Amino acid sequence: MSSHREAPEISKDPVADNTDVYAFVSPDAPSTVTLISNYIPFENPTGAPSFYEFGEDVLYSIYIDNNGDARPDITYNFRFTSQTTNPDTFLYATGPILSLTDPSWNRRQTYSVTRIAGNPSTARVLGTNLPCPPCNVGPRSTPNYSALADAAMVTLATGEKVFAGQRRDPFVADVGAFFDLGDIRPAQPFHLIQTGIPAADESRPSVDALSKMNVHSIVIQVPIARLTKDGSVPTDPMSATSVLGIWAAASRQKARILNSPGNVSSGPWVQVSRLGNPLFNEAVVPVARKDEWNAADPVNDVNFLPYAQHPEVAKSLPVLYPVLFPNLAGITGTRDDLVAMFLTGFPSGFFAGFQNYTGKTYADMLRLNVAIPPSANPDPLGVVAGDVAGFPNGRRLADDSNTVETRAVAGLTYPLVNPTYTVDPAVFVAGSGLVPGPDRYLSSFPYVGLPLDGFDNPPVTQ
Amino acid sequence: MTTFSRRSLLKAAGVATGTAMISVSPAAAAIEPGAMETTPSGPLPSESIVAVIRNADRGEVTILSGRTEKTYTDKALVKRLLKAAALNHKHGQGVA
Repeated sequence: MSSHREAPEISKDPVADNTDVYAFVSPDAPSTVTLISNYIPFENPTGAPSFYEFGEDVLYSIYIDNNGDARPDITYNFRFTSQTTNPDTFLYATGPILSLTDPSWNRRQTYSVTRIAGNPSTARVLGTNLPCPPCNVGPRSTPNYSALADAAMVTLATGEKVFAGQRRDPFVADVGAFFDLGDIRPAQPFHLIQTGIPAADESRPSVDALSKMNVHSIVIQVPIARLTKDGSVPTDPMSATSVLGIWAAASRQKARILNSPGNVSSGPWVQVSRLGNPLFNEAVVPVARKDEWNAADPVNDVNFLPYAQHPEVAKSLPVLYPVLFPNLAGITGTRDDLVAMFLTGFPSGFFAGFQNYTGKTYADMLRLNVAIPPSANPDPLGVVAGDVAGFPNGRRLADDSNTVETRAVAGLTYPLVNPTYTVDPAVFVAGSGLVPGPDRYLSSFPYVGLPLDGFDNPPVTQ
Repeated sequence: MTTFSRRSLLKAAGVATGTAMISVSPAAAAIEPGAMETTPSGPLPSESIVAVIRNADRGEVTILSGRTEKTYTDKALVKRLLKAAALNHKHGQGVA
């Protein structure tokens, strides 16, 4: 969920499966933007002996559109290489790993960063042989994990700060409930299908399904002036120059020959995973077209427009909860509020002091207005709660985008385009309403929390 | 009456004097034996070239090489590849 295992084909290729993308003005470095792209869904911390790593044969990309045409103007590419230090042991660590050069660390990765500004001929390698930290194995193998992770944060000569490696999955959602026929646990007594469980037991708080999972994060912090069309640091939120479109992807070469030792790839890169807004491909695009969507470029997302205009979830909720969403059931027009949220951004005039409109090209991208400074008191519900520094103005790690989108689809934002519409009160029980624990995020780079270790997770007592 | 011995035949062909020409002319190509199964001499190169027959009747073949992909019309190449592929199946289909 968000985009964990969201499509049939990519669900079989976890190292290329983009789970979430985040983009925000860095709270502790507001002249920069932090871009985060996560991969490998449902990463169990105890996944030994071959702990998780990035794919050597995968091209990981983060794209930035700075002129509203839904095509990449700036691209950051990441490629990974693996090394085995000691071929004669089955162990990931043959002793405590005390540094990134420790010979006890048997299976390590390094990576390169390449920046393309427009034409591919402008590609410039910004860094090579950059270190990833090891996975967080446990107190004997990785006794001072935070020091290892800190050592893997690199500032490039061109000003970008980068990190790539295992972190704790920041996404918060009640995955199991949502995909059990749209179950919203607090509203279970009103669900069409009753299980026989007493209402008092059934109407429970949501479950934070990813709270004990890790993920592999690529984090890059970029000076804003390196991303805008004119090289400026915008200060006027109403200016089109202030809005960046952002998405991420993973690609594989077209042909792969399985071979021992070492597979062989050939041909051009083919995109196998893509992600802009959370949940768009997951819960808006139908299953038969999800992998097609993954392979497509945002500039062609008009092909998926009807799914945002008439989303299946909006049609399902009144069926699944017959008494809770009578007004939602009565909507027959196109959901232009959702089209704005996912595919165009909101023009000025909808929210005070905010716009993230990129023009008429329908394209699923995060849209970040970089002229809006970080919020001193972030609200996880972001713009709809009056915090215009949060989702769908880009996406911060702690934004509860799941709840925002679920409520929006349930009708919360429909009055923006149809002022006569009355929102169903049940909208406010939709979404997870989960409050993540204090260790989920960090206040400084790379902002994604430290990964859980494999020794303690799952915990001894369950 | 003219008679031919084996020796005179070889001499006429130039084999006995070691002067037989090996050339790649269209005529010679036409009589080449085609693909011969052999034992691989080494591992696959890391940058393998992959040919995919896209349309046998039109002689269309797509070549993947490095990070590139281009499609060509080459009826002779397609014909030779099809012949080689047929040899793969000579001793039965692969097991699913």
